[in-house]
Amino acid sequence: MILKRIAVTNWRSLLGAVELGPFSDGLNVIHAPNGTGKSSLFEAMRRGLFDVHHVKGNEIESVRPWGRDLTPSVVIEFAEGSETYRVEKTFLSGASSKLSRLEDGKFQPIADSRNADTKIREILAAEAPGRGLSKQEHWGLAQVLWAPQGELAIDKISGSANERLRAALGIQMSGESGGQIEEQIEARFLEYFTSKGGYKKGKFAAPIVNLQEREVEIRSQLLELRQKHQAFEEAAHSVDDARHRRLQARREADATRETVDEMRASVERFDKLKSEQSNKRETESLAKKRYDDFNNSFLQIKTLREQIASNEKTAAILQDSEAGLEKETKSARERLDKKRSERESARNKRSSISEAQKAIDRARAYLDQQALVDAHNKRINKLDAIQKELEVFKQKRTRCVAPESKVLKKLRNLAAKRDAAKAALSASQIHLSISPENSIAVEDLTDSSKHSVGPEETASFSGDALVEIHVNGFGAIRASGPEGSAEKHRKTLEEALGEIEKLCQPFGTDDLERLQTLRDEADAIERSIEALEERMDTLLDRESIETLKQEHAEAKARIAEIEKQYGDWKKEAPVLSKLQKDFESLSLKINDTIAESEGAYEQAQISLSASEKNLNEGQAELKVQQAGLDTAKKRIEELLDGGLSDEAREKAISDALMSWQAAKAAADQAEASLKEIPGDPHRDLKKLEKQRTALEQTEASARDAEKTAEGQLQSLSAEGTYSKLIAAEEELVELENRIAQESIRMDALKLLHGTVSECRSRVIASVSAPVERSASRMLSRVVGPRLGELKLTGEFVPEAITPELSTDPVALSNLSGGELEQLFLIARLALADVLAKDQRQLVVLDDVLNATDSGRLARLLSLLEEVSDRLQVIILTCHPERYRGLEQATFVKLGI
Amino acid sequence: MIRFVHTADWQIGMKAAGLGDASQRVRDVRLDSVERIVELARERDIELLLITGDVFEDNAVDRSLVRKVGETLSRFRGQVFITPGNHDPLTPGSVWEHPVWEENSHVHVLRDRRPIELENCVLYPCPLKEKYSTRNPLSSIDASDTHKVAIGLAHGNVEGLPDAEPDYPIPVDAAQKAGLDFLAIGHWHSFSPYKGSDGIVRMAYSGTHETTKFGERDSGNVLLVKIAERGAVPQIESLRTGALKWLTLDRSIAQADDLARLSSELKAIEDPGNCLVRIRLDGLLFMSARAELELLNEILTTRFLYGFLSIERMTPAPEDDSWIEELPVGVLRESAETIRQQAFNGSDEQTRLVATRALLELFELKEKAAL
Ligand SMILES: [Mn+2]
Repeated sequence: MILKRIAVTNWRSLLGAVELGPFSDGLNVIHAPNGTGKSSLFEAMRRGLFDVHHVKGNEIESVRPWGRDLTPSVVIEFAEGSETYRVEKTFLSGASSKLSRLEDGKFQPIADSRNADTKIREILAAEAPGRGLSKQEHWGLAQVLWAPQGELAIDKISGSANERLRAALGIQMSGESGGQIEEQIEARFLEYFTSKGGYKKGKFAAPIVNLQEREVEIRSQLLELRQKHQAFEEAAHSVDDARHRRLQARREADATRETVDEMRASVERFDKLKSEQSNKRETESLAKKRYDDFNNSFLQIKTLREQIASNEKTAAILQDSEAGLEKETKSARERLDKKRSERESARNKRSSISEAQKAIDRARAYLDQQALVDAHNKRINKLDAIQKELEVFKQKRTRCVAPESKVLKKLRNLAAKRDAAKAALSASQIHLSISPENSIAVEDLTDSSKHSVGPEETASFSGDALVEIHVNGFGAIRASGPEGSAEKHRKTLEEALGEIEKLCQPFGTDDLERLQTLRDEADAIERSIEALEERMDTLLDRESIETLKQEHAEAKARIAEIEKQYGDWKKEAPVLSKLQKDFESLSLKINDTIAESEGAYEQAQISLSASEKNLNEGQAELKVQQAGLDTAKKRIEELLDGGLSDEAREKAISDALMSWQAAKAAADQAEASLKEIPGDPHRDLKKLEKQRTALEQTEASARDAEKTAEGQLQSLSAEGTYSKLIAAEEELVELENRIAQESIRMDALKLLHGTVSECRSRVIASVSAPVERSASRMLSRVVGPRLGELKLTGEFVPEAITPELSTDPVALSNLSGGELEQLFLIARLALADVLAKDQRQLVVLDDVLNATDSGRLARLLSLLEEVSDRLQVIILTCHPERYRGLEQATFVKLGI
Repeated sequence: MIRFVHTADWQIGMKAAGLGDASQRVRDVRLDSVERIVELARERDIELLLITGDVFEDNAVDRSLVRKVGETLSRFRGQVFITPGNHDPLTPGSVWEHPVWEENSHVHVLRDRRPIELENCVLYPCPLKEKYSTRNPLSSIDASDTHKVAIGLAHGNVEGLPDAEPDYPIPVDAAQKAGLDFLAIGHWHSFSPYKGSDGIVRMAYSGTHETTKFGERDSGNVLLVKIAERGAVPQIESLRTGALKWLTLDRSIAQADDLARLSSELKAIEDPGNCLVRIRLDGLLFMSARAELELLNEILTTRFLYGFLSIERMTPAPEDDSWIEELPVGVLRESAETIRQQAFNGSDEQTRLVATRALLELFELKEKAAL
């Protein structure tokens, strides 16, 4: 298309109507400072051509001038082919769309509303946007031809634009029938596969997917069934095993039962022998006892006889020694008595020690009291002197009459008040002074007083409001003034004077200085009294003088008390050290005597108790001997009770011995035959019975196990697991066959589709070659040979360069910003050149080439001039001076 | 004179894998054919039916099958003797514990090796008690001292296969050694008589009564055996009992019209409802033959009990390139050529198979687009 004219109303910053055009078919530069709406203009053109008028949403809302309730609209006139069209589009409130065609010099409407939107798209081979605003991929050829601000790069070119490029290059991918077949291949492929090549899942899943799912399912079922079938076979084995175990257990139990019976018989025999043996042993022990009894009593009789003889002998000796011991004891007791009385007399002397001690204590107390009395005397004398002085001052204080400080202060205040009142009174009166040259007589007419005033004297007269005098020989003089305030001041003055008089009356003067002196004198007396009283307190040390005197008297009484006992001390005071020395030598002497007598007493006591002990022991021993003798005599009487002779006793003993020996031989024989039975048959029997019980239990539990296994087996066999198993196996084989078949078919489809796509890509790759060549040529003209060849994808999108010095392509991300913008501009121009083969096309460049230096810019401009033979170029910029080199360009300044 | 029917390997409840929907039918037919044996025996006035093992495919088959077999046998008027085989050995939980075997006094499951003396003969049973064994099942059978016709019943592998693990091995001269007039054996599914050193057949596999799979030789029969007296030569007659035919047609296709001939051949087969057909083609595949192949497949799957067509071994005909030339020049023709080369020269069979299939798909789509 070729742009003829554009008018934009209320579009972002463009308020009111802005109209541009007609444009030249060649180069146009629209310039304006930043932010004044160049891009808005371009945007309005795109929205007008590619967006439906009724589009809604935030994006289109943002087109409305900010903060205004205006309706954005755009009118575009353009030529396409041989026709010229006009589009009028209004967005948002009052949205509308209208398409007109130039017929006989007049625009005639050909479509409106949605039809107009659709029709415009058809004319421009654009694509319908989905919801919301159109994106680049909907713009048809404009996505190649038009570069919005900041979007110079080409990322993607939509299918239809690609088709147009290919068509313009004269490349037919496939014929019509070929296209149909390819579509069929694609359709069949997409019936089973996703566009990424995986099997389709879900509702429209490829059959193989369902088969595979079923296969997984059936395999897990099969696993279960196989396990079950195996369980059946294992159960059969367990039944078999259990049967064998039960039979074995029964055989073993039977064998043990026989052994138990045999063992029982042997136990019976053993028990019989054992009871026989124990009877015989009992007989033997009875015989032995009888023999032992006889023998023992005879032996005892003999022993007792010997004992009695020895006892009698010992008792006689003991009786002899007892008399000597009694005598010895008596003399020891007498000696002890004597020693005791000696000890007592020594102890009695101890009282004279305490007497001496007491005298020391008393002497110490006597001396202390003496010292106390002396100290008291001194203090009392001093106190008496202070007391007298204090008396003198107190009398002085009584005589001295002085005003209190408070009264003095009040008087001072009053005097100040009085003086102030006096001054105020005088100020408020009329005063008249006369200083005559010669003596004159003056009569004060106010109070009729008369005065004479000599020369060089001055007479003054005052009065409230009026002074009136009469000067002899001169006449009356009257002076008058304001009335009123003098009376008040006078009253104040009188009050003050009265108060002062009242207060001063007790002191006979109202002289303040005098009154102050009186006060000072009284204060001095007071201070002296205080000083004396303080001294007295110090001496008393918190005691009262009465207490002090009482203590003094008490001390004196104590001294008299002590003197009553120790009269000498009145004449001469005791000496403590002498008393102490006397006391020590006395106590040493007495204590020695006491210790000596106590020692002697203890000695006597010990020797007495030794004698007494010997005596007691002797008597006890004698008692023991006599008791032993009594017992022995009694026992022997008992033993001899039978009255048998010693010979007869010996005979009886010998008979008992013989019958014991006979019984013993019989018992030994019985024991020998018992020993022939080995071990303990009872224990063996018990063991065997236990064994039998265990085996019987084993048999029972084997039977239980067998029954359990049989039960399990029965329930498993009733299930007919094999039949289920083979059904699953059959299904699995069927599935595997079908999956194999299906997977061959799927692989075949994939191969077919893949091969076709690959071939197509190869063909497409060769398609972009002519564009690559022309773009590379332009690139080398602008930047020199450094960047080498530009590579485009099969979809004409620039993807790499192949620099001359490199064999491998270099990704575009490695280029600088300036080179990138030059490269993309050139790519767009090369593509635009292809598209302009049949008819002139509009290229729009919004604010591009910002990173390009002036040298390259110049070369680019001449390139632009070259292509403007075939292309209409509209450049939007805020730097028109950069494009001044374009001599043939039409410059339009936006807003004027 | 004794006349009896010998059969074995009924394999009731066996798996019929790879037969699709026909599986159940194939299984059911095995039961129906048992009925036919009973009828046949009745028609021929047979007094004795000997079944030597593998009546059932497994001891865990559905119990209803056990009852059906038991009840069918109960309708036979003579005596029935069964020895369990390696598929249905006498183990705890086996099919032989089913109550149906106690319900008819003339149907006997022989559970031990005690000889059974009948009016005209003595039976020497060798029932199997486990799935595998290296023992000769006939060991310790000795019929030399009987005066009646001695018949052995056993199940196992007749010795002679090289390198075979011994599994119930039966010596070739087992009948002679044991002094038997006839040794009825089971396990192999094809009818196989064995001559003794004297050139007389005294031992035979009856084979299964109903064919079990494709390629099974001489199966679907029972044997009618007549023995005049002790020591007489047994007269053996094979009687058809199988209901199903299992046909395998391996054909090589050289020309486009070979397929049409095969179709006619198929159409000529009688009783297709009881026929299972497997066709394996090799040779050259003409894309234009697609329709013919489809027709073939349709005949197979609609007329026959089961049909299967394999063209995996066919390769595209090299001269069959006219359809490719009909493709528009460019992407499609180039793609077709690439795939065709792959179909000829692919590195492995799977690759060639897939490529061939892709060619067929392309051909079909081309035809469709032309319509
Ligand atoms: Mn078998």
